[in-house]
Amino acid sequence: MMKNSIQMKKASYIILAAWTVFSIVGCEKRLDILPYQSISADKALENESDVNVTLIGAYDGVQSAPVYGGDIMVLNDLIGNSANINFTGTFAGLKDAYQTIMTADNSFASGTWISAYNTINRCNSVLSALDKVTSSPDRKNSVEGQALFLRASMYFELVRLFAKTIGDGDAASNPGVPLVLTVTKGVSSADNLPRASVKAVYDQVIADLTKAESLLPATNTIYATKWAAAAQLSRVHLMLKNYAAAGDAANRVITGSGKKLNPDFTKLWFTFINNGGANPDEYLFAITVTAQDGTNSLNTYFGRNVGITGTNGRSDCKIKAAHIALYETGDVRKTYFALSGGNNYTRKHLDRYGNVPVIRLAEMYLTRAEANFRNSTSVGAAPLSDVNAIRNRVGLPSLTTVTLDDITKERYLELAFEGHNLHEAKRLQKSVGANAWNSPKLILPIPQREMDVNKSLVQNSGY
Amino acid sequence: MHKKLLCLGITLITILFSSTLLAQTSDVKGKVADESGVPVAGASIVIKGQTAGVTSDASGLFTLPNSSGKQIVITAVGYESLQIIARNNLQVTLKTDTRLLSEVVVTGFGGATIKRELTGNIARVKSKEIEYLPTPTVDQALQGRAAGVFVNAQSGKLGQAVTVRVRGNSSISASSQPLYVLDGVPITTQSQSSYGGAMNPLADLNQNDIESIEVLKDASAGAIYGSRAANGVVLITTKKGKAGRTNVSFNLQNGYSEATKRLPMLNSQQYAELILEAAKYSDDKEGIPYNDPYSYTTYVKNDVMDYYSYGEWSKDPNKTYDWQDAVFQKGAYKQADLQIRGGTDKTKFFSSFQHLDQTGTIIGNSLVRSAGRINLDQKANDWLDLGVSMSISRTLNRRLPDDNAFSNPLQAIALNPMTPFNDPKTGLPAGTPPGDLNIPLYYNPVISVQYAKFTQEVFRTFGNSYLKAKLMKGLTFQTEFGMDYLSQNEEGYFRSETVRNQTSAARGSGTNTGTFITNYNTNSYFNYNYAGKKHNLSTTLGMQYQQSQAKYNSTSGTDFPSNSYTKIASAATKSGGSSSQSDFRFLSYFLRANYSFMDKYIVAASGRLDASSRFGKDARQGFFPALSAGWIMTNEKFLSNIDFLSFLKLRASYGIVGNAEIGNFPQLGLYSGDAGYAGNAGQRPSQLRNDSLRWETTKQADFGIDFGLFNNRITGEIDYYEKKTSGLLLTVNIPATTGFTSIVKNVGKLENKGYEFVLNTQNLIGSFKWTTNINLALNKGKVTDIQGQIIQGGVSNMNRVEQGYNVGVFYTPEFAGVDPNNGDALFYKNTKLADGKLDRATTNNYSEAQRIVVGDPNPDLIFGFTNNFSYKGFDLSVFFNGVSGNQNNIYGMGRYSSASMLYEDNNTADQLQRWQKPGDVTNIPQVRLYYTNGSQASSRYIVDGSYVRLRNVTFGYNIDGKVLRKYKIEKMRLYLSAQNLLTFTKYPYWDPEVNADSFDSNIAKGNDFYTPPQPRTLLAGINISF
Repeated sequence: MMKNSIQMKKASYIILAAWTVFSIVGCEKRLDILPYQSISADKALENESDVNVTLIGAYDGVQSAPVYGGDIMVLNDLIGNSANINFTGTFAGLKDAYQTIMTADNSFASGTWISAYNTINRCNSVLSALDKVTSSPDRKNSVEGQALFLRASMYFELVRLFAKTIGDGDAASNPGVPLVLTVTKGVSSADNLPRASVKAVYDQVIADLTKAESLLPATNTIYATKWAAAAQLSRVHLMLKNYAAAGDAANRVITGSGKKLNPDFTKLWFTFINNGGANPDEYLFAITVTAQDGTNSLNTYFGRNVGITGTNGRSDCKIKAAHIALYETGDVRKTYFALSGGNNYTRKHLDRYGNVPVIRLAEMYLTRAEANFRNSTSVGAAPLSDVNAIRNRVGLPSLTTVTLDDITKERYLELAFEGHNLHEAKRLQKSVGANAWNSPKLILPIPQREMDVNKSLVQNSGY
Repeated sequence: MHKKLLCLGITLITILFSSTLLAQTSDVKGKVADESGVPVAGASIVIKGQTAGVTSDASGLFTLPNSSGKQIVITAVGYESLQIIARNNLQVTLKTDTRLLSEVVVTGFGGATIKRELTGNIARVKSKEIEYLPTPTVDQALQGRAAGVFVNAQSGKLGQAVTVRVRGNSSISASSQPLYVLDGVPITTQSQSSYGGAMNPLADLNQNDIESIEVLKDASAGAIYGSRAANGVVLITTKKGKAGRTNVSFNLQNGYSEATKRLPMLNSQQYAELILEAAKYSDDKEGIPYNDPYSYTTYVKNDVMDYYSYGEWSKDPNKTYDWQDAVFQKGAYKQADLQIRGGTDKTKFFSSFQHLDQTGTIIGNSLVRSAGRINLDQKANDWLDLGVSMSISRTLNRRLPDDNAFSNPLQAIALNPMTPFNDPKTGLPAGTPPGDLNIPLYYNPVISVQYAKFTQEVFRTFGNSYLKAKLMKGLTFQTEFGMDYLSQNEEGYFRSETVRNQTSAARGSGTNTGTFITNYNTNSYFNYNYAGKKHNLSTTLGMQYQQSQAKYNSTSGTDFPSNSYTKIASAATKSGGSSSQSDFRFLSYFLRANYSFMDKYIVAASGRLDASSRFGKDARQGFFPALSAGWIMTNEKFLSNIDFLSFLKLRASYGIVGNAEIGNFPQLGLYSGDAGYAGNAGQRPSQLRNDSLRWETTKQADFGIDFGLFNNRITGEIDYYEKKTSGLLLTVNIPATTGFTSIVKNVGKLENKGYEFVLNTQNLIGSFKWTTNINLALNKGKVTDIQGQIIQGGVSNMNRVEQGYNVGVFYTPEFAGVDPNNGDALFYKNTKLADGKLDRATTNNYSEAQRIVVGDPNPDLIFGFTNNFSYKGFDLSVFFNGVSGNQNNIYGMGRYSSASMLYEDNNTADQLQRWQKPGDVTNIPQVRLYYTNGSQASSRYIVDGSYVRLRNVTFGYNIDGKVLRKYKIEKMRLYLSAQNLLTFTKYPYWDPEVNADSFDSNIAKGNDFYTPPQPRTLLAGINISF
């Protein structure tokens, strides 16, 4: 051992030195690492390109299944059109909606609420950085208009689903939904917002859509245009029973957009299987679905594999024979159902990757017709000619006279299973099954998780 | 000159026993070996009454001067001491010391303590207890073996994630799994699965390589692992080489397994009776005549029973099929192990090879593992040791989908009992094209087994190399570099036949995912040991740096030319692709000192400074100290006269540890680039920042008594502990109106308090031996502050964190039975009244019923109970374990299958007891098709999950040595082993030891969702060594 001691000492110094080096190498700077798929929020909106991709992110938000991916439309039909659908699905949230026995923890109600506000925050994020868009005033206008359109669309859907409808009490005092118009950077008790009144929400929606219509370009590929904003605005006004404004907005779309009704009704669907994923001209705004991205929830629940490659779905929504009987003989739409396994399914939603239409031009004709009829005006065209435009295209003869019932019936048949019926019932003050148009059972619950975290919220009655 | 044992933990002890020779004549030469003939190195041999002696060398040889004819005492750590008259060529056989107090316990970073001197709480599981058990992962093998360590296997699927809790659940949102350290390296144990449920990366470790497992339970034992020790630390030490003759051991086992239980379901006649009754109700309710073509009754007859039976039902309504027969199978179990162990005084080695081939008890599930290991220790010169331990393995798992998938085979119980297994026209599984795709009622999971495959193949390397230098007497420096490399490929192909389930598979669908985790670790530390007559000191000072990098990539494709092509190269559409990365790092310094005086008073202190990339910039570094003390009272004079009391020690500890398992980068405000739309890239706000985010802090106190009675034939431990956790990392719900649903914050507190009891008795000694080991633990967890946050999860969000209750209690309306007048399900209102009491009135309006706490998935009591018997060549081991006081949630299945025929699903046989007419008293509401009656989430579906399980019985026979030696065989043992042979429980579904993988989270426990039960495995084995 003695003869090794010098050697040992040497070695121990070497090792000690090595260890010291190691300690320095392992200094704390090594701990300053960042994620790879995400970037720091401080550095996310530094230039125009960043704002552009954030705007795409807002479209990604509206594309999510719980909102315009289709759940909003599915809920609308399952609650508002239950007499015509035999729902056999197993999702409890949808089944309860169909039977109007929803509880406050309904997963579809909370899913829609969460996704809509998530999208709103994405829009607010875009709007917070408009000063970075410097390439051209047009581009800046377009970005702002798109963000406003998307945000307004979400608020419009929220206030229609989660609050009392227009005409049911006083919109100025009925609670609507919380209004958040700035991007969230941190969270505090100030974020426990109460519900703004129904009127306040509608006012914001109208302001945003009006501004969007003025800012947006007339063409914008698959993204929002001036006409999409005007069409949404016509819906808002119709809901508010501002018939003149609704008719004017619809008229602006019909006359300004240059779009025409597709002569073949059956060409309006199967966008992926038959149309290479492109929207028919008649779509004023739609959500694009591809094999890589997006879900068409209408397909998920209304669809079924009927033997055509690319068709699919859970076969949850079987269309009752009573519904098909509503169409006149010779109506192309009467045959637009697939009989499979002893049940009928609408052909509108069979395409697994079909785009999700949000607003079609046909609706504008029917809105203009109804507005003109109610105001005894003929802005753009007479109600009879607008209704006949829709009838002729599906192989039906022209009517010679038209009543309000004719218009609303045509509207129902034309837009069946596209997510209109709940709001149509409320607007027209028609009962849905055993529920009166203003029954609390037709209003979605404020999600339980939201009630739990935000004590400033008031629950809807019945929950 | 003294020789050293290489086994690190024993160094100190060796030095104690080592001593200089006295020059004398008339020497005695001899050899020390253990019962199997393996030489024992480092044994101390002294003449009785003297203190100086000699130690045996690596070959077990010793020379004791001037001792011939004298009484000598031979002692060695881990063996019973022996007195014998010295004579030349003495062959000494030492018996393994089964009395636990003299075991050496590993404490981490080169530390080791004899159990009797331990001041912290460390449970030790030895290789013998877990060797050759048919449990594919080591954490499962711990079940019932260590007091206070709760293990739930969760599912009968092979290689899936297991829940392990040490002294209760001490977190809500962060992981509650312990830290696993294999030969000094913290290893990757988070699931890397992209399909089905979470997997268990411990499946890549051959548990037969393990020498011992130490579970560090209290803060004083754990503090040296600082911010990572709050959930306990599991130290796994693999086997080392031994000097002496090379020992080859070969073990072969063969057997089969079957599901532990089948569930009684309705047969065709019973099903028809119930569903027609349910349809009748709904027709009556809506005023539809039964024979109306649109009536429920017509629908049920034509479109359900006849349609889904391919028209068979109307011809023969008695034909019935139990779909469990189609999805359960007898699984084969085959395993071969080869272990070679030996060495010289300079070089020692252990090497092993294993091949395991197991098929599951559910169709389509299998696991194949091949593993090899070499552990080498080399004495380079008299001051430098070096070595390496290294294992490589390949694990191939054919996976099942997650529990909440129609393709989960057990979901087949939902199918109508009149649906035949095979389409009568094609002879193929029902629902296979070209037959009707929409039969059966739901997708037939058998199709996925036949026409789809998802495999997970993992290549895993665990390695650690070390240099250990002796710097001066008592002082060593050790530096280690370790690596855990996990390389995983997951591959799935779904043929077009599966299109009803895999909607993208109309023309075939394939996925391929790669995962590469490189986890480096380096430890460098000094150990100083001083052993004096009165004072003993051992200290450790060092640093640790760990860096983990995880890289992922995946591709998927659809539209294949035919089902013969299964690789994405052939896919016409590349439907998806991704690559991503996530890293974390820890930098730590640690210190530990143990001091004992007169072998009576022991104090220990330790501390660790931890910094991590996971914490906010205002909270980068944490300090974790601990202090403990012990008093060996039996070494005091006043107790030395009590004959029956052979050992008594009091100990106490207090310390602070942390939990840093919250995932990577929870502290940063982030945008994510995953928000593309229609082929254009997009970003979105994805996370809110929190600069002060830090570890969770657990302060733990432990008081214990260790005792030995009747010459230590009875030994035991009693512990009481209190763990108080504060600064809980919570994913706190925030108003969704902000655009976010949650933020990670340090809010809230919880505590765990409990008792642990360990009792080991040698009931019979002599030729018929009988020993008993009992461990039992009581734990009470309570969330004391969550600042009003609502945290829920599990099936229908029924698990919840509620102040004043344990984590994850079941929170749901309370079922009040069935109204005898009308068959309506009733619920207690439980609205809070003015006086603070709950309104116990009942209602049939579900939305009027308030949610309350109705159960707890965490057990109050867990225990293990082992009896070992041996007589001559025979040995028998009987091991029970159990849990009690916990509830399970069966709503996942119950809402469909125990639901008064709400849907067309087949129902459990208990639904026959439904209400039928006014006056009926039952707990099963009236059957009503499509009209919810009692199938809402409620306490009706929260059931007792207690069980006692005969976990393992092994009966072995060692063939007499004389016969074997003729064939140069040292030892041959034949054995029969049964795992999960019997289960005693009141649980109504398959297996009370359950947690559905689709819902599993820290708070979502005790959920059953068509979850496969544990296998009952019977096997025969042979072990030969030569």
